[in-house]
Amino acid sequence: MSGAAVPVGIEVAEHFQDANQQRHAAVFGMWLWLATELLLFSGLFLVAIVVRVMYPDAVTAVALHLKFWIGATNTAVLICSSLTMSAAIELSRLGWRRGMLACMLATASLGTLFLALKGYEYWRDYVEHMTPFFGFRPYVLSGDRATQLLVDDYFIITGLHGLHLTTGVSVLLGLAWIARRPSFLRHHQHRVEVFGLYWHFIDLIWISVFPILYLLNR
Amino acid sequence: MTHEDWRTIRHRLRSPVLCFVALLLLLGVNVLLGVYAPFRWRNIWMIEAGIAVAMVLIVLVFSMELVREPPVIRLFAGVGFYWLVILFSLTLLDYLTR
Amino acid sequence: MSPSDTALRDPLTPRPTLGRPDDYLHSEHTLRSWLLTHDHKRIGILYLLSITFFFIIGAIAAGLVRLSLIVPNGMIFSNDTYNRLFSIHGIVMVWFFLIPSIPNTFGNFLLPIMIGAKEVAFPRLNLLSWYIFMVASLFTLADVVIGGVDTGWTFYAPFSTTFSSAWVVPALIGVIVVGFSSILTGLNFVVTVHTMRAPGMTWFRMPIFVWTMYATSLIFLLATPVLTITMLLLLMERGFHIGVFNPAIGGDPVLFQHMFWFYSHPAVYIMVLPGMGVISEVVPAFAQRRLFGYRFVAYASIALATVTFLVWGHHMFVNGMSEYASIAFSIMSFVVAVPSAVKVYNWTATMYKGAIKLRTPMIFAMGYVGLFVVGGITGLYLATLGVDEHVHDTYFVVAHFHYIMVGGTSIAFLAGLHYWWPKFTGRMYPEPWGVVAALFIFIGFNATFFPQFILGYLGMPRRYHEYPPEFQILNVLSSVGATILGAGYLFPMIYLVWSLRFGDPAPANPWDAKGLEWTIASPPPEHNFARVPQVDFEPYDYSEREQRT
Repeated sequence: MSGAAVPVGIEVAEHFQDANQQRHAAVFGMWLWLATELLLFSGLFLVAIVVRVMYPDAVTAVALHLKFWIGATNTAVLICSSLTMSAAIELSRLGWRRGMLACMLATASLGTLFLALKGYEYWRDYVEHMTPFFGFRPYVLSGDRATQLLVDDYFIITGLHGLHLTTGVSVLLGLAWIARRPSFLRHHQHRVEVFGLYWHFIDLIWISVFPILYLLNR
Repeated sequence: MTHEDWRTIRHRLRSPVLCFVALLLLLGVNVLLGVYAPFRWRNIWMIEAGIAVAMVLIVLVFSMELVREPPVIRLFAGVGFYWLVILFSLTLLDYLTR
Repeated sequence: MSPSDTALRDPLTPRPTLGRPDDYLHSEHTLRSWLLTHDHKRIGILYLLSITFFFIIGAIAAGLVRLSLIVPNGMIFSNDTYNRLFSIHGIVMVWFFLIPSIPNTFGNFLLPIMIGAKEVAFPRLNLLSWYIFMVASLFTLADVVIGGVDTGWTFYAPFSTTFSSAWVVPALIGVIVVGFSSILTGLNFVVTVHTMRAPGMTWFRMPIFVWTMYATSLIFLLATPVLTITMLLLLMERGFHIGVFNPAIGGDPVLFQHMFWFYSHPAVYIMVLPGMGVISEVVPAFAQRRLFGYRFVAYASIALATVTFLVWGHHMFVNGMSEYASIAFSIMSFVVAVPSAVKVYNWTATMYKGAIKLRTPMIFAMGYVGLFVVGGITGLYLATLGVDEHVHDTYFVVAHFHYIMVGGTSIAFLAGLHYWWPKFTGRMYPEPWGVVAALFIFIGFNATFFPQFILGYLGMPRRYHEYPPEFQILNVLSSVGATILGAGYLFPMIYLVWSLRFGDPAPANPWDAKGLEWTIASPPPEHNFARVPQVDFEPYDYSEREQRT
């Protein structure tokens, strides 16, 4: 075993019987939360699908104006961040604190890269007149008003996903700040795992957003 | 880092790296379909959607380690998606039969 | 001696003495100890106080609505004021009273005790849930009272997004935020039931109240997020013109209704299921009989929580939905009546040949069963496509859902409040006054809402404050009934507060009832159980009396 490894465990809270029960409760709670997040996004996906059923031509016109390559790159970025997050979890189980911290910071950086690309994409949308809700700017697809439905849905979906990712990056940085203390893994190792679930889930949502908005409608 | 450490690392990271490779490959296929096959065949979206579902399943089962969790957690992960299916199917029942 | 009586005499269980410093009410006295508490019992009491406040607000608005409807020409309030009044009534009663009523008060207080746990799984989240509730509800209340909202509680697009001139956006924000309080409570309960049960407390040893709380929590988790996103879409459309429902650009308001009712129909079962749980506790205790068909009632709870997600379209039969979808939703709506009926039969069968004690909770429970049957059967009329065509958006619908919400949930709430009042406070309520209140409420309720069935069938639409003069007699009758009902609600508010100081001290088990909550002192000690209980008895273990007869 490496000399860098620190003891790993969970400090049992008063109302739990043992560490296993506590870990199970935490993981279970996070899965339930993620189920609610899934249904939250499902409403927006439903709108996209219904609009596609109602106006197939309009959604194709919109999809050809979306920045397909930025969307694809961003998917790849998040897949990379999932790998580093998984690595952080595995290292936390081994008690390799420094490696875990490095992986957490790499994950946060990839998340930030995603947000930066997303911001650039929004800028391009603005420049290319894909913002029908701004009354002061002409709209490139104004010939078919129904296109606005999918564009609006696109901004709400990606905005809400961006909000989740921003939250994820902030929490991850906070967690890394706390986890820099050597005693962290002895008391709260399961927090890394529970947060990891959330991170993978944001990735999962984007993996669904990319085809639903950018790909299927082309 | 000793030789032993590297072995541990390789062993532990096998599954995440395999997921990573599989996800990137599937994404690549989808991107190629999106770039080179539009307008050719109307129902290409079925293949693309299938690939996306496969990617989601990989993340769920391996990245989120559903495969290691007790049955009750697998059940609730399934319940979330099942409810999504209820929402979609009954709403589309209206839109597809109007 | 049945095994649960052995648990009662456990020498390690604290003896029921009042005012001991270790009960949850008296362990600490400061305001801070209440506002920062992690104790599920104290959080339950905080919720009880909050929802009582909101009930009073909602009831006042209802009283003003009935006042306005005494005269047919709408002289008493202007159109705008009337719209705002019924919106206050709907928004406050649905989101700030009915939905949190039983789960967040009795559920928080009793669920951990009933499964033999010290706490819920996430005590801090539980407190956070209360704070979210308070912030969102007070914010919304200020909005609907000061600014006014005229959309009703349903916020139908495009009226809410485009045409309403009222303060819709803050109300939407409030409803979005309060949803998180529901979600956190539901999440807490599901994890608690799965992970915190005492040794020996198997699934089929849990009281039905716990089963219904579990089913309700599932609906909280699976329905609320869809409401959140729907309200968010309305908010974006109204606030920023980033919308998807606007018919002017081809959007479909019916899509809004699909998403809204995907939450709001299951929300009916968020309100009804906990009431069913309360009745399933009260009836066996006052009939001194085992609950008939325990497993069927348990399964029926889960079945209701599931099937209720398949019927939302019956709110939309006349709104432009396809006929095929209407037929499917109509059939599913008939199916959902089956588990409800199973429960009614089982309560009745439990009372059959029981040694019935007609105490206040039992009188409320019997009233509940009758009113719930009326509400349920009229629900079947409404699920029928042809009949719904005739009575849609009339007072028939109003009467139907008030029979479920008020005749069902509110009365079950009062039944549970009287049943567990000794456990909550350590004091008995005055029995004669309880009986009087129960009778007032039963009579007043029927006088208020039965005329509305007739009004609706004759064609009086809901949400108008002017109506043809020939409807006046029935409307006056309804308003008189509302006065009796209001008086009935006033009694418990007075005598329950009175009993806090002057009521008789309550023993640990005043009703001779079974269940873990009756094996500990009244009020319960801070950590519920002196040691983790070993459960080796079935629920509703009234076999002792049954063998005697």
